[in-house]
Amino acid sequence: MHKGYLALVLHGHLPYVRHPEHENFLEEDWLYEAITETYVPLILAFERLVNDKVDFRLTMTLSPTLISMLGDALLQERYLKHINKLIELAHKEIERTRWQPEFHNLALMYLSEFSKARDTFLRYNRNLVNAFKNFQDLGKLEIITCGATHGYFPLMERYRPSVRAQVQVAVSHYESVFGRKPRGIWLPECGFYPGQDEILKEAGIRYFFSDSHGVLHGTPRPKYGVFAPVYCKGTGVACFSRDLESSKQVWSSIEGYPGDYNYREFYRDIGFDLEYDYIRPYIHPDGVRINTGIKYYRITGSGDRKEPYVPHWAQEKAAAQAGNFMFNRQKQIEYLHGLMQKKPVIVSPYDAELFGHWWYEGVMWLEFLIRKIVCDQDEIRLTTAPEYLSENPRNQVITPSMSSWGWKGYSEMWLQGTNDWIYRHLHMASERMTELAGKYPAVNGAQKRALNQALRELLLAQSSDWAFILGTGTHTEYAVRRTKDHLLRFNRLYEDINSNSIDESWLADIEYKDNIFPNIDYRVHQ
Amino acid sequence: MARVGRMKKVLSKKPLLGGKKAKSVKTKTAPQQEPAKVRLDIQELAVGTTKFSHPEMRRVPKNFPHELPGAYGADRMVLMVRDPWWLYTYWELKQETVDKLKSGLKDEFYKAKRVLRVYDVTNIIFNGSNANRFFDIQIHEFANNWYIDAGGPGRSWCVDLGLKLSDGRFITILRSNVVQTPLDGPSWITDEEWMIPDDMFARLYGMGFGLGRSSPVGKAWRERIVSSPGMASMASPVKKAARKRGFWLRVDCELIVYGATEPDARVTVQGKPINLRPDGTFTLRFALPDGKQVIPVKAISADKAEDRTITPTVTRETK
Repeated sequence: MHKGYLALVLHGHLPYVRHPEHENFLEEDWLYEAITETYVPLILAFERLVNDKVDFRLTMTLSPTLISMLGDALLQERYLKHINKLIELAHKEIERTRWQPEFHNLALMYLSEFSKARDTFLRYNRNLVNAFKNFQDLGKLEIITCGATHGYFPLMERYRPSVRAQVQVAVSHYESVFGRKPRGIWLPECGFYPGQDEILKEAGIRYFFSDSHGVLHGTPRPKYGVFAPVYCKGTGVACFSRDLESSKQVWSSIEGYPGDYNYREFYRDIGFDLEYDYIRPYIHPDGVRINTGIKYYRITGSGDRKEPYVPHWAQEKAAAQAGNFMFNRQKQIEYLHGLMQKKPVIVSPYDAELFGHWWYEGVMWLEFLIRKIVCDQDEIRLTTAPEYLSENPRNQVITPSMSSWGWKGYSEMWLQGTNDWIYRHLHMASERMTELAGKYPAVNGAQKRALNQALRELLLAQSSDWAFILGTGTHTEYAVRRTKDHLLRFNRLYEDINSNSIDESWLADIEYKDNIFPNIDYRVHQ
Repeated sequence: MARVGRMKKVLSKKPLLGGKKAKSVKTKTAPQQEPAKVRLDIQELAVGTTKFSHPEMRRVPKNFPHELPGAYGADRMVLMVRDPWWLYTYWELKQETVDKLKSGLKDEFYKAKRVLRVYDVTNIIFNGSNANRFFDIQIHEFANNWYIDAGGPGRSWCVDLGLKLSDGRFITILRSNVVQTPLDGPSWITDEEWMIPDDMFARLYGMGFGLGRSSPVGKAWRERIVSSPGMASMASPVKKAARKRGFWLRVDCELIVYGATEPDARVTVQGKPINLRPDGTFTLRFALPDGKQVIPVKAISADKAEDRTITPTVTRETK
């Protein structure tokens, strides 16, 4: 008989990066790398689990921007081109490393991975969302939605129509893809402020996740801390909050699993290591060296000297760490069960792209963990929020506290000297969008298209990713450009709509460039 | 690779460290990012290099026609919450509003100090004069945004931009919205139906922050902030970050083996078949480790009637 639950949550999100106007656009690689290194490996792991009849439960966000990119024909075509080049490079590497068995075997491994990525991509008709949908339909995966473009809600608090549009657009988009409404949402950056739950309720969303202090600092005191969900006062929307102990084991730079010396070294990529003329066709067309994804070394130690990667050592380590993670959860659950006199739920959310892309062995670790929990013990049961709630419907009612899972736990990551300038523009655009939606409740033709496009541009400008990149202070130019481009397009649309002088060829051009959410309805922004 | 230097760009006019200590309450002001940024760089850099990796140079069209407007022609002041202790406000003032003040106040306008008045409006409906308390921050005339150390978690705030005249009178120019800062610790309000003894709550509280089973309540939260880097959504576990390395040298060798034969011949190198180009030429490239490599290259004619073998031998020795 189980004594508690573990809810694993993977947050899959990338900002909308799609540039049909350029043949090569480097930031699109974020998607291609994530497909090859994270999404496909996850899908293959889920397939193996299903084939082996392992009855698992996992929650995963697929943000509306990510879903849109995965389903976009242009990006699909470009991914195919990308993976074909990688396969070509892997073939060359197999040849080149003929006299170095330690690298030769790794080159063979990469060829096999890249080929599997291509096969899987093609097998699901180029749209990996189909795969995730299958696992949801099988009852293994609970797919939740996110803000339409991952806008950070606490800094939009005063602009409720924008929060509403982020949520409503996401919900209708989810419905069009999965054939039903989402039951849960991953609040972008876990950003919550009291009152936001009203908008979630309106949209039919029944639960969300917060960081630990969102609930721990809620009012009144939560009796069970983060180990039971709470219902938001006034709306009854359930809030599950993150357990930091299990988070730290994976995330932490000091004690986290991914830093193990047997694991693959992220920073030694042949895109940087190999002779320039040889690698040139596989790096950026401008000749800038970039990561290719082929990496031959293990972390080895804290110094610069790196030894070749040995896959089976890494695999053994991943299995051992999965065992360690499970052991720690068992101890944690046993203790909590005694303290609480009821079954605790431990919520462990992670960025999906951590697995595979950054932590190469992460997907393997996850699969080991799931198999061990399902097959080797019965103290912990994997669960999802809806499943937990149907078994444990009675929960405390509180008002969670404003919080995020970002740096320092609140809004500073997105509100500091390097990015605070964006808010006067974003907020003005929100005000103007509300004004437009009120002023033009029923229009047709170009006016309507312009209004819908205005909302697209506003949503795209609101992506928290731009503020985040500005906040990190490194290679900020693209984030500045995106913020400004969308706002400038919005401002021009606003003026053109109000003066009834819409330039239809320009409108068509930006509809083509910023083509997200084809069925958007600007009237949700109110 | 993407271990690029930070681009320093001044993107908005920041107030300089300003504001003398006003008499009433503390008035620490704005930009305080630097010490924090150092740590942040280390911890967040992985984001740039992994999820958002990209090299330094850019290809965005340089001649983008517009910049965002400097102002929208409105009088407005917006107040936002950064965290339990800090607020952020930005504002915009129409020229005609300034002109009106000037003509009304005459010389007084130029003598007046520009001030942010920060009101604690917790649990009241603020009417401009019933604040629980307030404090002033003197600001620069051209400032249009400010970070405010309100120092009061779990309270409601409202801010006026105003003029403080030489006779002490305060004139409000703009008033912000009201915001509420979150608590900086657990609520003191408990729920009768869901009571829990304090010591048990303390244990659950510490555990929720991943601090084991015995951390005292107050301390736990602070420790969480200090001791949990890499928690930001896209900050990955950053064991490497941007290492600064000293002088270094790396040398490797590769060997190119090339040749030509009849285009329809079959060629093997070290026993493994290779592909010829349409003109019968071929090129092979090998990483060359230390030691001796014997490389027999054998060509067999299409009709298998003839064959040729040439065997280069290469030795690499690294000292």
